[in-house]
Amino acid sequence: MGYGNLVVSSSPHIRSEETVQRIMIDVIIALLPATAASVYFFGMRALAITLTGIIAAVAAEAAIQKIRNKPVTINDGSAVITGLLLALTLSPAMPLWMVAVGAVVAIGIGKQVYGGLGSNPFNPALVGRAFLVVTFPVHMTTWVSPVDGVTSATPLGLLKMEGIKTGYMELFIGNVGGSLGETSALLLILGGLYLLYRGIIDWRIPAFYLGTVAVMTMVLGGDPIFHLFSGGLMLGAFFMATDMVTTPVTKMGKIIFGVGAGILVVIIRLYGGYPEGVLFSILLMNTFTPIIEKYTRPKIYGEVKR
Amino acid sequence: MMKNPIARLIIVLALISIGSGLFLALTYTYTIPHIEANAARDQEVAILETLPDAVSFEELKNTEFPIYVGLDSSGNEVGFAYVAEGGGFQGMIGLMVGVDPEQEIITGVKILSHSETPGLGARITEAVFLDQFAQKSISDNFIVKEDIDGVTGATFSSKSVSAILEQTLPKAVEQYRESGGGK
Amino acid sequence: MKFGYEFIKGLWDENPTFRLVLGMCPTLAVTNAAMNGLSMGLATTFVLVGSNIMVSALKKVIPDEVRIPSYVIIIATFVTIADLALAAFFPEIYRVLGLFIPLIVVNCIILARAEAFAAKNSIGKSALDGLGMGFGFTWALTFLGIIREILGMGSVFGIKLFGEGFVSWIIFILPPGAFLTLGLILGLFNAVLGKKKKAQCS
Repeated sequence: MGYGNLVVSSSPHIRSEETVQRIMIDVIIALLPATAASVYFFGMRALAITLTGIIAAVAAEAAIQKIRNKPVTINDGSAVITGLLLALTLSPAMPLWMVAVGAVVAIGIGKQVYGGLGSNPFNPALVGRAFLVVTFPVHMTTWVSPVDGVTSATPLGLLKMEGIKTGYMELFIGNVGGSLGETSALLLILGGLYLLYRGIIDWRIPAFYLGTVAVMTMVLGGDPIFHLFSGGLMLGAFFMATDMVTTPVTKMGKIIFGVGAGILVVIIRLYGGYPEGVLFSILLMNTFTPIIEKYTRPKIYGEVKR
Repeated sequence: MMKNPIARLIIVLALISIGSGLFLALTYTYTIPHIEANAARDQEVAILETLPDAVSFEELKNTEFPIYVGLDSSGNEVGFAYVAEGGGFQGMIGLMVGVDPEQEIITGVKILSHSETPGLGARITEAVFLDQFAQKSISDNFIVKEDIDGVTGATFSSKSVSAILEQTLPKAVEQYRESGGGK
Repeated sequence: MKFGYEFIKGLWDENPTFRLVLGMCPTLAVTNAAMNGLSMGLATTFVLVGSNIMVSALKKVIPDEVRIPSYVIIIATFVTIADLALAAFFPEIYRVLGLFIPLIVVNCIILARAEAFAAKNSIGKSALDGLGMGFGFTWALTFLGIIREILGMGSVFGIKLFGEGFVSWIIFILPPGAFLTLGLILGLFNAVLGKKKKAQCS
């Protein structure tokens, strides 16, 4: 979510109506269709997980800020989004207490230890998910099929471990095993387009991220359509790789970020030990954000090349 | 004595090194029998565990990899055990495999070394998983999820153990027979 | 009084792990269970006391120019003794700690104490300093090991604490768990001690 209409420049600056709260509300609106779909596909369990994630994240934010004698900023909605995004990356079979643990880690270790919103180098929701993946790998990789409710593998897992490929239409609509928010590519794209329309996110990261994945899989002999619509790629591309705190602000920087993350996803999916690589691709690129920004900063007017 | 500082440096360092060497030589001679006994006991335990009917064993000569023939109390051959190695999820997995060549079945499998993820892949060392291989035919494919229940969350590690067995068993039996075992 | 302090300071005021933040390699690498932390701590204590005594005894003999190589030889000797002794008499512990025992030689606590303390103080004081630092290191490692073992395996010193339903927090017995646990404990210590210091000032 970068200020698409903003250019990094020297003063004078124009005041805008955009506030953190306004942006966060737009993001929540954009995530609603996918959230609703997850409840439709997976039932009340999905709603319980979503609510647990949000409540735990907000409570953790408030508690930590209270303890540290800092102003409590839960009204800006950023903790709500962290909790919601985290919940959307989890399996519907996840025990609720684990969801809460993930949300507390996301806010505590992913955000507040660095000094709160704006200072965190990594996307908090992804930090929470990464913690859960390493801590409870069995629960994090036990998926439920929305069709019959029995344990099943994700389309990516099926491809990697058993060599079975899921149909395009099922992937697009979201009638497949997987985490809450990553099943329906259609509704995620819809939410993403809304954010683009509102000017909350910049088109460069999602476009170059998805484009790189498509081109890379094609070059390496994979199936680009399958890889675009499976796993958490859509969710990651529109809602996580666009986080304005942890991704570059410069235009060129966004392109580099998108391409880099795309390459990483394909490498992890095709050659790595894990079936899915979106989480690690974005976290790894987050670490490169400062250096990308350093080298893509526009020249100051009048600066002389040394 | 302080006339030549370089000589002093050399003498002091040499004396410290000699002292250190003496100390270590003493410790070594005192501990090495224990260390060797430990290694021998570990090997013995592993071999006898994979060959439940054996009470003693002897190593076959002229084999490409170590093969141990298990003997019962009256000195009859009851099978053989061999060391197999192969890639796991993170590093090499070393196995001790016990085989009954007459009935052509596995009598036991034990993990000697591995570097799988603690708490996940590392659970391949548990009896619940390994005991499934006992009594299986040596020509079995050990397909995880069909013939063998894998360790939850560690399909890859489970499959690695199966693959190592499948690949090494025919070779081991052949070696055993060529080296004059089974008489 | 003065002698007592040489021992006490290593336990808390100058605790090598939590206050000086020295010897992080073994701290992070072997604290995935309480027993491993304790064994590593005790092995390090043995080396610390031994090398401190030897360095202090030889401090007049060793010329300044070659003091570091001399200390390294002395330390390496004690580490090798510890390595052989563990392999001979505690094979179970040796199997787990394995590679990390020889690595005690590069543990900076040991060289730091030899250089900063034993080279300037009497044999008695140096022995107490080594013992204090060693025990400070040992309790810190055991403490970390206990926390990580409880969360990661649901047990302490191998004794199961919870029933069958316990879900292991696997991250805590993996390397990232070492960094997380140590970081959170250091943060907590600094927060508590920082408050105390402020209260003393005002």
